[in-house]
Amino acid sequence: MLRDPRNPASPLRHVDGLLVGAIVAISGLGLLMVYSATRNQQTVTGGTFGTNYYVTRQAVFIGIGILLMIGVALVDYRYLQDVAPILYVGTVFVLLVVLTPLGSSARGAQAWFEVGGFQLEPSEFAKITFIVAISAYCAMHRSDLDSSRFMWVLALAAVPMVLIYRQPDLGTDLVFAGILIAMLLVGGARPRHLAVLGVISVLLIVTIFQLGVLKRYQVDRLAAFLDPQGDVQRTTYNLRQSQIAIAAGGFTGRGLFKGSQTNLSFVPEQHTDFIFTAVAEEFGLMGALTLLALFGLVVWRTWRAAVLAKDRFGTLLCVGILAMIVFQIFENVGMTMGMTPIAGIPLPFMSYGGSATLGAFVGLGLVLNVHMRRFA
Amino acid sequence: MSMDSPRLRLGVLGVVIISLFAALLARLWYLQVLAAPELRVEAQRNSVRLVESEGTRGRILDRKGRVLVGNRVSNAVVVSRQDADKKPEILGRLAPVLGVPETELKQRIHDSRFSPFKPIPVAEDVPKEKLIYIREHQSDFPGVDGVQLTRRDYPGGELAAHVLGYVGEINEKELAARKTEGYKQGDSIGKGGVESAYESDLRGRPQIEKLEVDSKGRVLRTLGVQPAVPGNDVQLTIDLDLQRLTENSLVAGLETARDFSDRESGKRFSAPAGAAVVIDPRDGSVVAMASYPTYDPREFIDGISQERFGQLQDPAGSFPLNNRATQGQYAPGSTFKLVSGITALSKGLIKARDTVDDTGSISVGNPPRIFRNAFGQVNGRVNVSEALVRSSDVFFYQIGSNLWDEKNRSRFGPTAMQDTARSLGMGSRTEIELPFEAGGRVPDPDSRKRLHDSNPEAFPTAGWFTGDNINLSVGQGDLVVTPLQLANAYATFANGGTVWVPRVASTVLDTNKAPVRTIDPRELRKVDLPPGVRDPMLQGLTGVVADSDGTAAPAFSGFPLANFPIAGKTGTAQVFGKQDTALFCAFGPVEAPEYAVAVVMEQSGFGAEAAAPVARAIFDGATGGEAKPVTRVTAVD
Repeated sequence: MLRDPRNPASPLRHVDGLLVGAIVAISGLGLLMVYSATRNQQTVTGGTFGTNYYVTRQAVFIGIGILLMIGVALVDYRYLQDVAPILYVGTVFVLLVVLTPLGSSARGAQAWFEVGGFQLEPSEFAKITFIVAISAYCAMHRSDLDSSRFMWVLALAAVPMVLIYRQPDLGTDLVFAGILIAMLLVGGARPRHLAVLGVISVLLIVTIFQLGVLKRYQVDRLAAFLDPQGDVQRTTYNLRQSQIAIAAGGFTGRGLFKGSQTNLSFVPEQHTDFIFTAVAEEFGLMGALTLLALFGLVVWRTWRAAVLAKDRFGTLLCVGILAMIVFQIFENVGMTMGMTPIAGIPLPFMSYGGSATLGAFVGLGLVLNVHMRRFA
Repeated sequence: MSMDSPRLRLGVLGVVIISLFAALLARLWYLQVLAAPELRVEAQRNSVRLVESEGTRGRILDRKGRVLVGNRVSNAVVVSRQDADKKPEILGRLAPVLGVPETELKQRIHDSRFSPFKPIPVAEDVPKEKLIYIREHQSDFPGVDGVQLTRRDYPGGELAAHVLGYVGEINEKELAARKTEGYKQGDSIGKGGVESAYESDLRGRPQIEKLEVDSKGRVLRTLGVQPAVPGNDVQLTIDLDLQRLTENSLVAGLETARDFSDRESGKRFSAPAGAAVVIDPRDGSVVAMASYPTYDPREFIDGISQERFGQLQDPAGSFPLNNRATQGQYAPGSTFKLVSGITALSKGLIKARDTVDDTGSISVGNPPRIFRNAFGQVNGRVNVSEALVRSSDVFFYQIGSNLWDEKNRSRFGPTAMQDTARSLGMGSRTEIELPFEAGGRVPDPDSRKRLHDSNPEAFPTAGWFTGDNINLSVGQGDLVVTPLQLANAYATFANGGTVWVPRVASTVLDTNKAPVRTIDPRELRKVDLPPGVRDPMLQGLTGVVADSDGTAAPAFSGFPLANFPIAGKTGTAQVFGKQDTALFCAFGPVEAPEYAVAVVMEQSGFGAEAAAPVARAIFDGATGGEAKPVTRVTAVD
């Protein structure tokens, strides 16, 4: 069926080229910015890294990511519905193991496996398997979530979230929460259940999002809470430098490799969490808007895939990935502009980092998968 | 229920997503368009640092262009702060090479006076061999380098220290006053004397380096350099040779005085301090100005320690930092007879030939109060000239007394002597450019009453009596003057009545020795000295030195007065609780005066015995004669 060129429903005829094009463009821009942000960076260990160290590795990650995306897209997603329980249990197991001495810790969190010079971060992949599991559960019940099923979904979410909290990685937990709410909304939760959950979340979010309720130092503390590695003063300084970098870009930007904030490493973690500031400083409002437009394109195509999906499982898969991407974009870009608290959440397809990049490509593979099989 | 439609739920999700994106766009617009201008300035400031290095300070020259304060090059070892922080063992290796304790090196490295972007000098005047050793073992000393620094240099050592002043680190008060002139923390500034008075001429413009730094403060490159402009030289009216002679003579006079004892109490003179001033009566130029005890301006070159500065401020050390020539205030004693004599003659109270029978004392008031000559000496009938020559106090007591009787008080006013004193420059600053000048004090009935009203307990007397006028007539009482004021008053008499503002500098020169500006002599006022007043006074003052019975004759015995006639007046001022102040004022050559001299020596006895020989030595030098050692003479004044 996959290989039948004469069949108008053949999945290969319905690959979303626009979505793939947008992802490739974003990844390319990401590579460029990783290079710009790291080419002057001196290494802690004393110069064994070349100026191309980060950009080369990120290029490899993107290459593997694209292969993974293709691989994921080729296998019919409906097969995943059957193996969802196994994936879920396996994920929980891996999240447990990473907390044991088998996992390694860095920057204050026990969240990685050292694998041949690479650091695998299971929580990045847990997001995907979590989406698969919740989608499968909701689809199994034909999106009819009564009180007990609603509680079941919450329970399914709670297990990995608690394990990730133990690492601790509160940023990823926030992403989980975002995914969960979106999937409950589309997955058939009763409005009153959602309302109760909503009230609880809003209370939480209002507290978090510093609507004048909190004093400055409390906000700082909260920021420090969400970012346990950094101390409060450093966090405030980072935020200030980040906003200065964005503002320095102005309309047209200072030009590639010409951003002083970027080149002189005033903004911390600029090749990872704060990569948006490099775009904003060097390419200005035009560049930032282009990037957001490309992300908008990805979001729109993913949302469209959710709408067009042939079954509930496909729709929910797309909604989950959609929520993951949107939440990460909003939290990450918002953080660099001082709108949202600082939390270590990467910008999808842009930030340097293997696991996050691979995870995002796998997610996109699922969306392509659902989209190209909407007739099959 | 409509919410059950998945499409609608997806629609809700879509709306949420769109609003999230809208929020991001709004914030982006705010940061990059609305708030951008001010934040962009901050981005600039973030990465650009201005590092200033002071320009070479101008030199201070004597009237013949000889260097009093110059600059010299010092071989210094500098250490980069970053390297020292990263590898603290460098300092441990450097300490034995330089022979400086490691703790001291550490202190220097963390001294906040130095810019964090410039290597810090940790040792100066390092021998060449040590610099070569460091260069040859550069791998052991990363971040260590040798540079040449310019340092203030005083070829004469302590010579003219009070006139020259010294240079030190700017303090907060000075910084606040000079913020607009580009001074900043850690800059050097003139702290006294010419260094302070001509600060804006001497100070060069600093070199400003514009550096690009990264977030850790590492210097990446130099964006530009605005070169330093050296300061201008200041040429003084001081003559190096005469200055040295004046200082040496003053010191010798004071040292000699300590070998002698007060004739009444038998106690050795402590002679702890003194001042001597030589000015040119023709234009008020200060040719020499000495103050003792003195200090060494070299101690201030790299910042003086708190402890040492404390020692310099200790009263037991007689405040060596004070310039007694301009800041010391002394009762002038008989040297003030210049003023009382001029007053009596110019008011017409006496004529040149009028005499007083000096019986050795005078009695005034009821109950009678008796005022005596020193040792109760009897001078017989003396006119004003003779009274000056022999220092007849009684003659001037009579003048003081007569000026206060009711008839004369209404004719000449109650402050006739004070008016003359003030017109000659006493009681107010001479306006010399040197800082911290004192104004002296000329008491009169009004000031007496003001003092009493402000503090009746400390000043129980509100009135002014005949006795006060008598005391004033011989330079006693509450009257005090600075040595510079005394010299200037005699200079005014010497030049025929012009009061000049004394000056120590004449020209500001650029580095090519071309004049930038001149400090012209400034005439303050003219005092009327008609021959009827000046001639008898001059006759008396000349006699003081030249007549065989003149009080200063012993001091000037052997001086070629025929070629270089000198007029002068000795003085011995009583100071409550202390030994007498010795004073001598003189000028010469009498017909066309070139020098006016005032010598004041604390707790040194008679002016004729202690101060006049010091002036004699100065005149010896000024006339090109052989400089003889200062010896105390026996005389009475």
